[in-house]
Amino acid sequence: MILAILTAVMVVSLIAAALAGVLVVSEHYLNDYGRCRITINDERELEVEGGRDLLSLLTSEKIFIPSACGGRSTCGLCKLKVLEGAGPLLPTEEPFLDEDERKSNVRLSCQVKVRQDLKIEIPKELFAIREYTCKCAEITDLTNDIKQFRFELVEPQTMDYVPGQYIQLRTPVYEKSSEEVYRAYSIASDPAQKNIIDLIIRLVPGGICTTYCFEYLKVGDEVKMNGPYGEFRLSETDAPMVFIAGGSGMAPIKCMLHHMKNTQNKRKAVYYFGANHPRQLFHLDLMKELEKNLPDFKFVPVLSEPDNGDNSKYEKGLVTDAVRKGLKNASKSEAYLCGSPGMIEASIKVLRELGMDEKNIFYDKFE
Amino acid sequence: MKESPQNNKLEALLRSSKLVAGGFMGSDNRGVLEIIDADKIELSRLGFTCQQLASRMRQITDAAKTGLETWVQIDDNLEAKTEEARGFLPCPWPHAGRFVKRVTIIRRINTSETIQWSDLNIHLIGGHGFFQGRGSNFRIEPAILIKMIF
Amino acid sequence: MNELSHAFVVFISAIFTQNILLSYFLGLCPFIGVSREVKTSFGLGLAVIFVMTSTCLLNWLAYEYVIEPLGLHFFRFILFIIIIAAFVQFVEMVIERFSPSLYQRLGVFLPLITVNCAILGASLFMVIRDYSFIVTFGYGLGSGIGWFLAIIAMAGIRQRLAIDRIPKGLQGPGITLIIAGLMALAFIGFTGVLSGN
Repeated sequence: MILAILTAVMVVSLIAAALAGVLVVSEHYLNDYGRCRITINDERELEVEGGRDLLSLLTSEKIFIPSACGGRSTCGLCKLKVLEGAGPLLPTEEPFLDEDERKSNVRLSCQVKVRQDLKIEIPKELFAIREYTCKCAEITDLTNDIKQFRFELVEPQTMDYVPGQYIQLRTPVYEKSSEEVYRAYSIASDPAQKNIIDLIIRLVPGGICTTYCFEYLKVGDEVKMNGPYGEFRLSETDAPMVFIAGGSGMAPIKCMLHHMKNTQNKRKAVYYFGANHPRQLFHLDLMKELEKNLPDFKFVPVLSEPDNGDNSKYEKGLVTDAVRKGLKNASKSEAYLCGSPGMIEASIKVLRELGMDEKNIFYDKFE
Repeated sequence: MKESPQNNKLEALLRSSKLVAGGFMGSDNRGVLEIIDADKIELSRLGFTCQQLASRMRQITDAAKTGLETWVQIDDNLEAKTEEARGFLPCPWPHAGRFVKRVTIIRRINTSETIQWSDLNIHLIGGHGFFQGRGSNFRIEPAILIKMIF
Repeated sequence: MNELSHAFVVFISAIFTQNILLSYFLGLCPFIGVSREVKTSFGLGLAVIFVMTSTCLLNWLAYEYVIEPLGLHFFRFILFIIIIAAFVQFVEMVIERFSPSLYQRLGVFLPLITVNCAILGASLFMVIRDYSFIVTFGYGLGSGIGWFLAIIAMAGIRQRLAIDRIPKGLQGPGITLIIAGLMALAFIGFTGVLSGN
């Protein structure tokens, strides 16, 4: 009896094992696509091992295509043009592509499997995205919950970015997080220093990346970031500019102002900075210096609850009130906003009431 | 009590730091259903429902939002402000739903007591009756919450 | 009756009088789930024909040379399923490698078939009815074609229905099951065309 059971179990296991063996062996031979060549924008060629999806291959070659879902074809962000070798459109891609995109061979790179030589086109900006290894060089307290972090690029040593763009900072696995995560932060540094990236970060309660930066990151630590990303940038007109940004939203504006100083930009500019209390203001000396060094720039801090001291130098109320009071007519101006969705919505409303055309309002919403 | 596989998965996600640093359960050893039940009993003793709390919280957050991160007076003895950060948090329960990273801080004017909640908190309380585990960053004691907002 | 003509009779009866879908109601899940368009049903149907024929033969061999001699009858369910699953995996790899376009067309359906109970059902019937190898071939092929015909017919009807007005409570699976019932009645009309099986 026992023997019968044992043989039965043995036989079933053997058969299962044999079948699994056949599958493993055949997978090894059948899934071997050899080397494939990917030509990008007719200028760069990659030799890669075939058989994987395009997105992960490009990522492992340090070409970063934005993707939020990690290759499950639910976000539709990893679109790029595959001119040759992609094979027919898959049902999983269809919902994300409109008629025009289909005609111009746009595909979801996470769904395209590399089986043969490919010819693809990647927008120039994405092609410039790299992964950077850097060293934390300085941590400065700006307010009780905002710090400025300075990173020195180690490999590659410089980053070419447009003022207003952001990077994604990698948070390694640490005590309070079991996975690597990436979070986006705007670049705040002076673009003249190409090997330095400054980030202005506010502590988010329970935030995985900000908790790491505030409580675990030490000067001298190595971190990884990738970038630059983003369309938020200065226009090339001469229109007067209004900047509105509070708290850590100052980061991209600060970068733009440095850039304006470096290029001796003569445009008229006003920066409204909203906060509750004087102790939430920071970089006041820097802003003074920029006021001196830029032909026509004014920094206007706006406080909602000034303390008892000397408050004459501050505007009172909400930042939107100050904008309404200071601007009067905005029809010829451009606006650059950075901050929480609530602040941006309120600002857009006020700016439109002041006559600004919506297409002249540029913003970097926190989402 | 025997737990279903879905529940085990949910519990693992709540304890992990995949969504928020430190997870949702803090140092609480009770299971998620136990926590929900215990708070439900507490609530009914106090004479409130999760939906009542959630809609009042929503109302306060919506009012505070207009202050653009500055303090807004809600009623005679209550003020609130919001702080927003970049990005979204998904609900850990298996359904579609993501919430702006917005924290509402409310303060009693006479005693200066404060508590805080996130938009996800409101959904977790209103939709799932979940006040989070003890020791979690965003655990809210029902009794304190009721004292603060009603 | 010699072996070949027996196989032929079984083949025909598996398609019509003993249709595995409409008289045994096996493989209903994909039948209802994937019968919205003729195009996709066609792909699934083809895959079923192929997999059903091949796995019936494989399982016949396994039964004849392993299960029967070793007296493992009570394990045949597990063994059949393992064999079906492994075979489907294997076929998927082969098709993906050598015919990407066919793979794209069948792609989603192949793995789906692993859990199609009609496939396992056919293998079990073949054992119960004590078919020989040739007859099993006829039976597997016939059952596959029968399933194929049924789902194509259903898809055709449902494509038509898509533009018709259907009472709210009956939309979707409801009306599909009613149609399946009517189709089954129609197929029963073939009974008696063939007497041997």
